[in-house]
Amino acid sequence: MKKLCLLLALLLVVGGALPGMAQDMMEYPSDLTECEVDLTGETVNIFHFGDLSGPYAFITQPIISAMTDAIRYWNSHGGICGAELGQIYEDTGGSREAAQSAYDRFTSHYPDELDLLLLYSSDDGELLREQLAEDEIVSLIAAGSIESLYGEDGQTPGWLFASNPLYINQFGFFCQFVAASPETFPDPVIGFVTWPNAFGRAGTEPAAREYCASLGVNVLEEPQFFLPTDTDILTQVQNAIDGGANIIYSNSLATGPALIAGTLVDLGLEEDIKLAGVNWVMDTTVGLLGQRVLKPNGLPAVDGMFGSMPFRWWTELSHPAVQFVYQQFTLNERGITEQNIAYLVSWGVIDSIIEATIRTMNRMGSLDAVTGADMRETVESMDYAVLGGLMHHRFEEGMRDATMNRIAVLKYANATMTGPATGPGDAMLVDGPSGKMFVPLVVPLTDFMEVPQLRGR
Amino acid sequence: MTEYINRNKRQLTWLLYAIAAVALALFVGDQLAGLKAARIVQTLISGVLVGGVYGLVALGIVVINKASGVFNFAHGWMMVVGGMIFWSFFTVSEISLAGAGLLSAATMFMIMTTVSYRNLLEQRNLLIAAGGAIGLTALMTVGGIDWRWLHALTGTFAGAILTGLAVERFTIRPLIGQPLFTAVLMTLAVAEVLHGVTQIAWGTVELHLPIFVDPQTSSRFKPIRLEGLREALDGLAIIRVELVIAFALAIVAFIGFILFFRYTSVGLAMRATSEDQQLAQSVGLRVRVILAITWAAAAFLASIAGVLQGGAVGLSLNISFVALRVFPAVLLGGLESITGALVGGIIIGIVEQFGTLINSSEQAGTNLAPYVVLMLVLVIRPDGLFGEKRIERI
Repeated sequence: MKKLCLLLALLLVVGGALPGMAQDMMEYPSDLTECEVDLTGETVNIFHFGDLSGPYAFITQPIISAMTDAIRYWNSHGGICGAELGQIYEDTGGSREAAQSAYDRFTSHYPDELDLLLLYSSDDGELLREQLAEDEIVSLIAAGSIESLYGEDGQTPGWLFASNPLYINQFGFFCQFVAASPETFPDPVIGFVTWPNAFGRAGTEPAAREYCASLGVNVLEEPQFFLPTDTDILTQVQNAIDGGANIIYSNSLATGPALIAGTLVDLGLEEDIKLAGVNWVMDTTVGLLGQRVLKPNGLPAVDGMFGSMPFRWWTELSHPAVQFVYQQFTLNERGITEQNIAYLVSWGVIDSIIEATIRTMNRMGSLDAVTGADMRETVESMDYAVLGGLMHHRFEEGMRDATMNRIAVLKYANATMTGPATGPGDAMLVDGPSGKMFVPLVVPLTDFMEVPQLRGR
Repeated sequence: MTEYINRNKRQLTWLLYAIAAVALALFVGDQLAGLKAARIVQTLISGVLVGGVYGLVALGIVVINKASGVFNFAHGWMMVVGGMIFWSFFTVSEISLAGAGLLSAATMFMIMTTVSYRNLLEQRNLLIAAGGAIGLTALMTVGGIDWRWLHALTGTFAGAILTGLAVERFTIRPLIGQPLFTAVLMTLAVAEVLHGVTQIAWGTVELHLPIFVDPQTSSRFKPIRLEGLREALDGLAIIRVELVIAFALAIVAFIGFILFFRYTSVGLAMRATSEDQQLAQSVGLRVRVILAITWAAAAFLASIAGVLQGGAVGLSLNISFVALRVFPAVLLGGLESITGALVGGIIIGIVEQFGTLINSSEQAGTNLAPYVVLMLVLVIRPDGLFGEKRIERI
């Protein structure tokens, strides 16, 4: 495993961009606003809760690692305007009741301090949308649903702000990419094979279908659902294919995309049917778990899967934000399973929280004077390159989700670590717990571009 | 008219059921009519194989219920613990001697003190415990990575016995003679404790358990493709090897437990204990020992199911939810029936797959069809297909 970590670290040299980072401590990449208030002796807490032990645990666990590492970093660098940074969090295990209970506890224990709350899941966002508004608490979330961010009518911005584009917008963006790539996707018909929860169903709305149809991309009306505990999804995949799909799109995580890709290989359709999904399918877990089934060409089944990439990725080491996070990841001796989206993005979210806090404090004159409404005013006016460009937060004009996105493809590194492998012959293989393992690589295919706005249509 | 209805109530009820069953059959038949034979055969194969795994999980729940009357809500988490222990031994190249020794010693301690802690005061028992611990430790640590199957199977066996005995000793045994409902609630508490322990020990990140892999390529076994039947079926059907292995293991476990309950004195004593624990104790049966064996056996079955499930889709805390999906199978087959667990599992597997084939977009396969079938069966046979009819003296 150690060897695997080492080689994955080496992979980050792809593109030849690793300017002495192993030796020198990187500068913090953000251009943070200067403090006009001295908070020496005080503590600024980051409040968050969500599913750390339930169905989403494998993707959320690294959030705690990133938070811990970031707090350690800040406190060893003088804190925020002199104040010590801390965190107060709870595990709700994916239960709505536990989420409500955590929220009640937070609001009753920290009524004056709690102006900004970090949430993990769309379900919690929907549950707390009205309460956050009533209690005037701003919430940052990775990727909220339409209902959590914009209400049932899709037109009423609330107190939640998302770092990723809405999943329906990500799907619309993928349709744009498909329409613009007729050589790769001739006569495109997309079928959803996805999880059955709010996250899994995002993008299956009629508005998304109509938008894609207007681009010449047909989407099957009937989505096929499967559960994270399913061992066999031949029926669902075959249903989509029999319905005419030549692209399968999935809003699922970890084993979900791997299971679909493996099923396509089992059916001998890995070349005929393309696989794509929401930003979470581009995660490290998919690259590692997707190796248990190989294609006839010898590469893992998920090789060539398309997905959204609305932020910089670990392999883009020419970017200072990625260099910095990677250095912290290494210094804190984090394991390969934590080198995922959650760890990377959490550093960005903390940066955004710090920037919002400083701006609001400067405006109000002291930390104690800051209220949730003040914080909201700041976040609403933000047009901020998070961590110097890891992602972009622009919540002006009633926007509550990110507007920029890219399409990327999941590949596996070649033996010289200079790009994707074309087969097992030229692939980088490292010793892993199950024998030789391929090294996953995410390759962006487009630049950052505006996503279509499909909510409330 | 009213009199006629009252007089023929039973027949009329059956008539209504028959009409409902025929309507359902016609609906399903109509939905399947336009499909290729390959789809139907494939769905049937998938249903039977997935159902076999459900049956194995159901068996663990039934074994506990058969011996103690307790419905074990912790079974899913016992699956997770078993799977995680297997992973710890299977994927580590150098097993910690201290860790293996501790696990072996704890297991032997629990075994030797099943009847009483005073057993350890006897020198002979101490020697047996020490010998057993050394033997288990040796099996868990001998050789290198090439011996990992032996390490993992021994470690999982010891871990399952330890888990089962610990659960029985510290949570179920103190409740002997108390209302059964208390013990059922206790299993809910045990589930939460195992949840916490798993999270602390192994974290929550999904783990790859590479047991169904071809050693030459390190990739999953290629499925069996029924090319010879392609023309006859108007399409290709495949059989996934890992599901066949899981199914075969389930069948072996079933046969073993049927023989155990029917032909061994411990098995017969378990059945007697399930009828009435206090009565069984009064006629000289060692209820404590019987319950301990039962829980250990159920934990071992849960571990096998956890390993198979983890090997098929990856090891995560989500595996515990499989036990929830199996509850209809347990109730359908009959709470105390070993045969019922297998048949119930396979029926639910098939129903799920055909429900998905007909209407996956509304989750008919997982959320609707198994429960409709369960309701129909329970209305006709309230004790399940193979459950024991209970007659109570009032």
